[in-house]
Parts: sequence; structure tokens; C-alpha cells
Amino acid sequence: MAVGALALATALAVCGGLFARRAKLLVDLVRLGRPAERFDDVPRRARNEAVIVLGQRKLLQRVGPGLMHAFIFWGFLVLLPTILMAMIGAVDRDATLPWLGHQGWFALLVDVFAVLVLVGVLAAVVIRKLQRPARFQGSHLGEADLILALIAGIVTTLLLWHATRIALGLNEWPAGWSPVSDLLSGLFGDDSVTEVLERVFVWAHVLIILSFLAYLPYSKHLHIFTAPVNVFFARTGAGGRLEPLRFDVPEEEMRFGAGTVPDLTWKQTLDTFSCTECGRCQDVCPAWTTGKELSPKLLIMALRDQVFEEGPKLVRGADGEFEPAPLVPGAVTDNVVWDCVTCGACVRECPVSIEHVDHILDLRRHLVMMDSRFPSEAEPMLRDVERASNPWGKPQTERAEWAERLGVRVLEPGDPAPAVLYWVGCAASFDERARTAAESTARLLKAADVDFAILGPRESCTGDPARRMGNEYVFQAYAEQNVSTLNEAGVTTIVTSCPHCFNTIGNEYPDFGGKYEVLHHSELLARLVRDERLQPKAGNGAITYHDSCYLARHNDVAADPRELVAAVGEPIEMERSGKRTFCCGAGGAHMWMEERGGKINEERAREAAETGAETLAVACPFCTVMLDDGVRQRGDDMRVVDVSTLLAESLDDGDGRPA
Amino acid sequence: MAVLVLIEHGDGQVDELSLQALTLARKLAAGGPLVALLVGPGGREAAGQLGAHGVATAHLAEDERLAAYAPGAWATAVLDLVARLEPAAVVAAGTDRGNEVLSHVAARLDLPFAANCTQAGAGSPTPVTRVRWGGSLLEEARVHGTPALLSVAPHTVPAAATNGAGAPTIEAFAPRLSEADLLVRVAEHVSTVTAGVSLAEAKVVVSGGRGVGSADGFGMLEELASLLDAAVGCSRVVTSAGWRPHTDQVGQTGTKVSPDLYIACGISGATQHIAGCKGAKNILAINTDAEAPILANADYAVIGDLTEIVPAITAELRKARSP
Repeated sequence: MAVGALALATALAVCGGLFARRAKLLVDLVRLGRPAERFDDVPRRARNEAVIVLGQRKLLQRVGPGLMHAFIFWGFLVLLPTILMAMIGAVDRDATLPWLGHQGWFALLVDVFAVLVLVGVLAAVVIRKLQRPARFQGSHLGEADLILALIAGIVTTLLLWHATRIALGLNEWPAGWSPVSDLLSGLFGDDSVTEVLERVFVWAHVLIILSFLAYLPYSKHLHIFTAPVNVFFARTGAGGRLEPLRFDVPEEEMRFGAGTVPDLTWKQTLDTFSCTECGRCQDVCPAWTTGKELSPKLLIMALRDQVFEEGPKLVRGADGEFEPAPLVPGAVTDNVVWDCVTCGACVRECPVSIEHVDHILDLRRHLVMMDSRFPSEAEPMLRDVERASNPWGKPQTERAEWAERLGVRVLEPGDPAPAVLYWVGCAASFDERARTAAESTARLLKAADVDFAILGPRESCTGDPARRMGNEYVFQAYAEQNVSTLNEAGVTTIVTSCPHCFNTIGNEYPDFGGKYEVLHHSELLARLVRDERLQPKAGNGAITYHDSCYLARHNDVAADPRELVAAVGEPIEMERSGKRTFCCGAGGAHMWMEERGGKINEERAREAAETGAETLAVACPFCTVMLDDGVRQRGDDMRVVDVSTLLAESLDDGDGRPA
Repeated sequence: MAVLVLIEHGDGQVDELSLQALTLARKLAAGGPLVALLVGPGGREAAGQLGAHGVATAHLAEDERLAAYAPGAWATAVLDLVARLEPAAVVAAGTDRGNEVLSHVAARLDLPFAANCTQAGAGSPTPVTRVRWGGSLLEEARVHGTPALLSVAPHTVPAAATNGAGAPTIEAFAPRLSEADLLVRVAEHVSTVTAGVSLAEAKVVVSGGRGVGSADGFGMLEELASLLDAAVGCSRVVTSAGWRPHTDQVGQTGTKVSPDLYIACGISGATQHIAGCKGAKNILAINTDAEAPILANADYAVIGDLTEIVPAITAELRKARSP
């Protein structure tokens, strides 16, 4: 017994030491990160922990691989006490955990979950070796094999250990409660061979667990420890909000995005430690799936590699000699940074709550603000946003031209605030195709007797395209200017045509003192239809609705536009819809950039055309333009039209009010 | 103290942008000696023109390995002179080459380098105003270190001659080039402009959109363009489809044009396209769709099939020009 105790103590010390050494480095690296505000909203965080970690919700978005993982994860939670039991049993053959070690129900749980873990491992092997999904491209596959082998080893030795104990009559629990172990015990006789085997299995079990423990923090399987923490500290607010950079702090505290490893926030460093290389993000990424360089997975892996390469030198720090290398092009190329459409599909998909878009944005901020380095074709947009208050450089005097024809009230300084301020947005004001939505919305609001007005030439770009390019200066200048215009006008409720304006005003302007009730036009129109202030005529045309990323995914607006579609036609869903929608290709300022590789808008147009719908309904001016181009480029016979226009067209021939 | 200016030249002619750089450098020298460096063949001829711009001495870096542009080697030439003359400042034109060479110089001297300056004053640190953010921001900065390293933003300082002396004194030298200096060098020149005038500067642009139908369809546009001494442009759809290279694209994310006449054939006129051609004095739209947005922006329009109308215009032009 003393020998056993000594052996266990040695093994614990060695493996625990290896673990602790690595764990300290990891903790130090995270602590090296810049600050991030992630300590508020604790109830929400606790809920995320329950749902995303314990409930495995994000993993179960994909049923097969999700169940595979859930079996292994839940299995290990249940089997945790058996680690202690095995250690006790290894030292003293006749001892176990008090009480729990004698419970039949626990023995049953152990048997059931041990089998589930093995099923999970088997499923993982089938997925990895037979299915070989593309999402694993670029992942460390050999490492995963070793980990799966260790897991299988742990569970198998546990079952065999229990089986030998039953065979020897050493089981502290009623054997009938553990059917699998009982069945396996038939393999062994009640003899000295089994006695030796019992020792072999328990020690093998304990040693595999300990070596697993030591190996874990050096592998991508590190996520066992980091993922629950990462999920807890994930963003809790609206997904579309970007953390503002502070320009009013002392220079040494100022941060202009991420240029090198020390510029990463601690959450970003933790993100890189949490990635298991599962590739779900890569699978849903519009850039990667259309053949571009960016893969959100490879991005996080590359950042992690650089953190691990430079981190130890940064932690030591004292010599002051070490200069960290730039993340671009050190970890990733410029193309990777600029391929992103900020659609957030990766973030939505990630089971461990990695926030890829925030990484991209911080890399862009640094490139743009420190190096003035970005795709040259976007330069006119940045300049025009700054100079002309809109991305196309059109004169502000033309902004409200469309509204004159319809007799829409333009709010002058000093006028009483309207019940609803209609924030038209640059695209719907200036772009011929997008303008139809503004005209339809205005007509509908008039028909429903809504008291509304527009700002006309006092409206300007929200700064969103500049911000998504990384130009935080220009964005903040616009945020302050627009908030002051809106506050002075006494505005309380705003309706926008553009999901990007909707997101910026609703989620980002509060950071600059602008707090309003912000609705997207699809929400307001659906409300008016529900209240019977608008009465559309039902139609039978097949309509498929394309969710804008900044409505459905970032802001959870998916039901209202669908209500409108259902009110005027026969809805058909695309495969990727709602929160799992696929970008049109314009997000992240890509409306003003050239696209490398395959075309995202054509890919989405293809998906829409495959539904057989005659109409592709949209609720965003950029989706309108991108998908209309995509449909035309492919030569499909499908009309791309905003939900507001569909609604306007379906109203009774008169003014559409209840008779 | 002296100010050293890196002069770019070709075919024995001094580059216009280098003359602009020289003008700013002369102000910076404030009466002190202005020294020029010309690298590679043809330098001697070009140097003769520099007297009128106030250059007292022109140094020619001569070595047969300098025949092709090599940034590291040019930087060595600059560094050799810096060591010998100890100038207060080194100035180059803010061209791709000027900025690249001075970046090498800055790295090798471990000094800061202010690119794209529009103004510079005497003194140390040297006060400069420079263009940043793609031209949207002017930055006031002070450049530390000796020599101060500056490049001059193109077309911000008009090149002005002085009433100065005749030809400068010419001194040739062989820079001490190492193998590493020649690792990066121009290996081959490939011309992108196939023929005719450049899109950005053309007085007439014949542009095609989806309505042209195919890459072959651009044949008739090219024919018309050749008669009008015009450049051929296109819309984004066309480059996406691979019918024309991106260099031909007119629009928000392509080239912005400002010709006297812009002929838009089969272009619907998306906002992103109009952003590139709104600078045209006159727009002639040829389109089958009388509702196309391009018509709202056009001064003249022909509603009809471009495959009939474009050849008809070409034929009329030929007829009018034949004796």
C-alpha cells in the first residue's frame, strides 16, 4: 500500500507539475492582454454557461457531431468521481469513496455514460476517418487522433477494471446495477491472473488520466479548461456592436486595434486558447466557401501560434530587448484581414464563443489607423464618407430628392419632433435600386397615418462603413455629430431602412449618448399590419426571404419580415436562413471593395434560385443591390425586391387603409 | 548644410515629379548647396538639365549593375553620398521608387522617414506637412534625425526653375554595392497598356456593360474607340464576368474618369458605376431599357440595341472622314 501511495504521489507530482507549469504560462499570457469589459451582466453569463457549456447548445446546432461531443462531454462530467475512486482503489485495493462508491445508481450511470463516451469516440472516428468533412482542412488531425485514443483508453480501462472487480467479488456496488461491467466480467475468472489484471487496469486507468492531464494544456484539447471560461466571458450584448476605441485617454493607454501580440485583449488571447480547430466557422464562412484566403479557424490558429511563439518572451519581459513581430503579415496576410464581410456566421457557429469578427476588426483598425494600409479601391469610399457624408460622394442636397416627390416632411431645426423619425440611410437615399424601398416605406407610413419625418440634408452616413473598415476616427466623428443632431431634434423613436444603420444607431450610438427606440422598417411595417393599419392583399406568388446578417444574426430580427412575406405571398425558405443566413457579400464595407475569388452574391443567388421562388425578398439596400447583381449575373429569372415594396404593391388599390 | 535630392530620370529626361521634389528641396536648403544624385544609365544627359533648377553638383552613381532598378542598390548609392557629404536632408519624389529607396535608407540608418510631404521648413527637427490617409488628412509633423529623410507628395508642389547658373558640376562615382543590394531588382518589364490612351486621361471613353453580351462584343466598342481616339472602359459586371481586365473598370472601386464624352453602352448605371463616371462633361447612354438609371444621369440617350447603334455610329464616322 505504501509503495502504491508513493507511486501515485510521484505520478501526481510529475503530471501535476507539468500541468501547472504550462497552466501558469497560459494564465500569464492571458493576463498580459489589454483590458476588456467582460465582468458585467453576470446572470446572463451564468445562463450562457448553463446553455452553451452544460447544454452543449451550439454544438448541437449540428446534430451528428453535436451528439458525439455531448456524449463524451456529459460522460466525462458523470465519470469525474471515478477518477478519485480509481486513485483510492489503486493505492488500496479494498477502499473506495465513502457512500458514492457503494451506490448502485451511480454504478449504472457510470456504465451507461462510459458506453456513451465510447459511442462518441467511435462516432468521432467515423467522422474524422470516413466522412472527413472539409471543415477539418488545416486542423491538426494527428493530435485529435491521439486525444481520441486517450479517451477511449480511459473509458475502456475503467470498464475493464470494474469487470475484474466484479469477477473477483470486490465490487462495492451491487453488480446487477452495472450491466456492462457485469457482462465483461464473464471474460475473467476468479483467479490470480484476474487479480493481477485488476491492478493493471486500475493503474493503467490512473496513469492514462494523469498523462492526459499533463498533455492537455500543451494540445488543442486545452479547450476543456479554457472553453467554459471563454464562454462565460463572451459578449452578452448585441452581436453587431463593436467595442469603441477610446481616444480621450492618456496616449500610453490608447489602443489603435491590434498590431502585435501585446495589443490583443485578454479575451482575444483566451479565444486563441479555446479553439479546438473543429472548423464549424470555416464551414459557414462566406469568404472561405467562395474560395478566398480567410478562414476564421486558420486565423485564430495563426494568432495562437504567434501568441505561443512570442508569449514566453513577452511574459519574461524584463530584458526589454524583444520586439514583437506584426500580426499582419506575421500571422495572417492582408488578404485574410480584408476578406471578412463581418457577417458573424463564424461567431454564431463557434461552440466555444470565439469572437472572430472582433479579431478581424482590431487587425483592420491597426492597419488603417497606424499604417494607412487597406485595399486601395476602398479609398474613394473612405474619402467620400468623410468629405461628402455619404460613401458615393453625392451632394447632400440630393439626399432628400426622392422624398420631395412624395411630400415627405423634412424635419427642420426647431420643428417639433415627429412620433417616428425615418432614418433613410445613404443607400436608400442615393442608390436607384435601393431607393424603391424608401419610397415604398414612406408611402406605407403615410397610408397608415404614421406621424413621421426625415432629416433630409441633416442626415449623414452613420459612419458604419468606415468603422467596419477599421477607421474608428471617422466613425466616432459621425457618431457624435449624428447623436447631437438626433438629440437636439428630440427624437425618441427611429425607423431605419438599412440594417447597418439599424445596428449602428441601435447598438453603437448608445456608447456615444444616443439612446433611442430603433426599429427596422420591417418591424414597424409588421406592427402596422398586425394592428390592421395596413391591410395587404394575400397573394400566391412564391417568395423566398433572404435574411440580412445585420438583422437576423446580429439583431434577432427574422420573424417580422417573414410576417410581411407571408402576408403577401407563399414563403419558401432557403437552406441557410434566419440566424444561420448566408451573407450577400456586401458587409464589412465590401460594398466598396473588389471581390477576390468566387462571388458571394452569386452563391447566395444560386441558393435562392434553387427554391424555385419567383421573388427574392430582401430587407436591406445592400442585399438588394448585391443579390440583384447576383441574379442577373447568373441569368436567373427572379425578382429581387424589398419587403416594403412587396407590401406596398399588395395594398388595396386605394390607400391601403381599412375600409 | 547641403540638401541631397534623389533624381529619377528616363530616356535622358528628368522626371517631372523629381523636379517637384527639387523645388521643395530648394526651399529646405534655404540658400545652402543643392546636390543631386542620379542613378544608372542616362544620368549624365539628364543631369545637364538640373542647373536651371538650382543644382550645384550632380553625382552620378555608375555601375553596370545599376542598369535595372534595385532598391537596395539605390539606397547604397544614397548612403555613400550621405556618408561623404553629410547633408542636412535627403529628399526624393513620393513615387513608388522614391518612397521605397528612402525606406531602405531609413531602415539602414535607423532614422525616421516622412513620406509624401507637401511642405518642409528649415531647422532640426524638420517641420513638415504631409499627406496621410489616402489624401484625406494633412499631418503636421516634426522629423527628427540627421539627415532628415523626406519624400514629396506628387503634384502638390509645382516644379519651378530658378534663373540660376548653367550646367551643374558632374561627379561620377561607383557605389560600394554588395550582393545583398541586388537581391531585389527589376528582372523584366511587362507593359499593361496594350494600345491607345489611358482610361483616366482619355478625352473620350467608350464603355460597355452587361448589355455588350460577351468579351467578343467589345470588338465593336474598340473599333469605335479607335476612331475617336478614345479609351475603352467597362462596368463591374464585365470585369466580374472576366470579359475585360479590372484595369478597364470604371466606377467606385475602379477608375474614376472625367472625359469630355462618356459613351455608356448597355450599362444600367448602378450607383457604384455612376460614382466613376459622374465627372464626365457629357454622357451618352445607349440602352434598350428606357427606365435604366443611367438615363437619369445621361445628357444624351439612344434607346435601342447597341449592336445596331454602335456599328452605325462607326460607319457614320468613317463616312464623314473618308475624302
